[in-house]
Amino acid sequence: MKRALYAGLVLGLVPIQTTVLQYASIGGIRPDLCLIAVCLVGFVAGEREGMLLGFALGLIQDLFSAGDPGLNLVTKGLIGFLAGLVGKLLANATPVAMLATLLGLSVVSGTVFLMAVRVGEGLADLFFVTRSVLLPQALIDAVVGTGAYWLIARRGQADQATQEKHGPLW
Amino acid sequence: MVLVLFALLVSVFLVLPKQTRSLLQHLGQPLAQIVAFPLGALAALDRSLREAWGGYVALRHVYDENHRLRREIEFLRGQNSELREVATASQRLAALLEFKEGTGSETIAAQVIGRDATSWYRALVLNRGERDGIRPEMGVMTQAGVVGRVVKANSSTAVVLLITDPNNAVTGLIQRTRDEGIVEGTVRGLARMKYIPLLSAARVGDTVVTSGLTGGFPKGLVIGSVRSIERVEGALFQSADITPEVDVSKLEEVLVISTPRQFDERATDAGSLLPKQPEKRER
Repeated sequence: MKRALYAGLVLGLVPIQTTVLQYASIGGIRPDLCLIAVCLVGFVAGEREGMLLGFALGLIQDLFSAGDPGLNLVTKGLIGFLAGLVGKLLANATPVAMLATLLGLSVVSGTVFLMAVRVGEGLADLFFVTRSVLLPQALIDAVVGTGAYWLIARRGQADQATQEKHGPLW
Repeated sequence: MVLVLFALLVSVFLVLPKQTRSLLQHLGQPLAQIVAFPLGALAALDRSLREAWGGYVALRHVYDENHRLRREIEFLRGQNSELREVATASQRLAALLEFKEGTGSETIAAQVIGRDATSWYRALVLNRGERDGIRPEMGVMTQAGVVGRVVKANSSTAVVLLITDPNNAVTGLIQRTRDEGIVEGTVRGLARMKYIPLLSAARVGDTVVTSGLTGGFPKGLVIGSVRSIERVEGALFQSADITPEVDVSKLEEVLVISTPRQFDERATDAGSLLPKQPEKRER
């Protein structure tokens, strides 16, 4: 079940990200579904799985991005690892904790890109990109990711209740 | 007694039928007039009820018909919209084909199927790749002008970095003054021409075209028009903000230039690198 889910994420997220998600962009910024998925998996399943999924998703994302090959691979792997560490450190995984984690990790990812990508000339351009791309991206990622986490947590609770009542689901 | 009266009446009717009927007619006239009032009223009521019922029934039919017609309108609207879309697409493709034939260069037509997988680059994903002959560094254009250049080519897709991305640079030429410079994207989604000689007489509205010196672009392909010119005191060069000719946010089909050299041979007025000779005035 878990493998099928990971395979689905690896094969499905980037196509969604490049095609249909453009209709859900706010001010030209789309939620980074790969980053969100990597964060959620790392947060819930640990740093190893988060990092591996990050590598896989980053690799595919690199194929459909104009950036240098490997940039997404490394960044997403790092984000998965860090999300796993944060998940381990926190005693209670609440949506608020998830929101803060996603916000922080999206800023980390954005900072890596800010350093690697040519964003124009001078401090004015740097501030402009920080204000118009990095921060809105982090905010959108945090909100969408927390929403997804809340839905998954609710579904998990419902499944657990059903399992207690009627026995295992599968 | 009653029987006798009844028998008498019947016999009168039988013996004198015409007279009896006439008499009864005369006697019944006023009575008929009196009865006519409620009768008329009832008839009117009946008529109005029948009309109302008939109207209701008819309305039911009209309602159904209206519902059916509305659905038909919706269907036809959808069909109309689809046909308009097809017509627009065919117009667009015909223009692209005409342009492709006009250039005389080898180009590969491709559809835009997506945007960059991150928000950090202004890039497009095309539905053609290495299998179709697309290679990195090839130029991408439409009939309006320069779109960008291919930075990655997978087997069946390619990534095009747009002219408006700060990571992209193309050598450009101001068409009127023949001054060269480098056109780069800006963070605000426009383009900027740098390294324009200080003595250049470039002005707002001038058209900027590709110089053909670098990259996969031929000479003379429109990049955009000068929006503003910046001259900093003490600087060795001046620079100009350029509004790109192609609206990169609305691209659906593009042409990937596989052999840009052929354009050079067919260089037109815009293609010449030599400064234009001033027109001779007749004395």
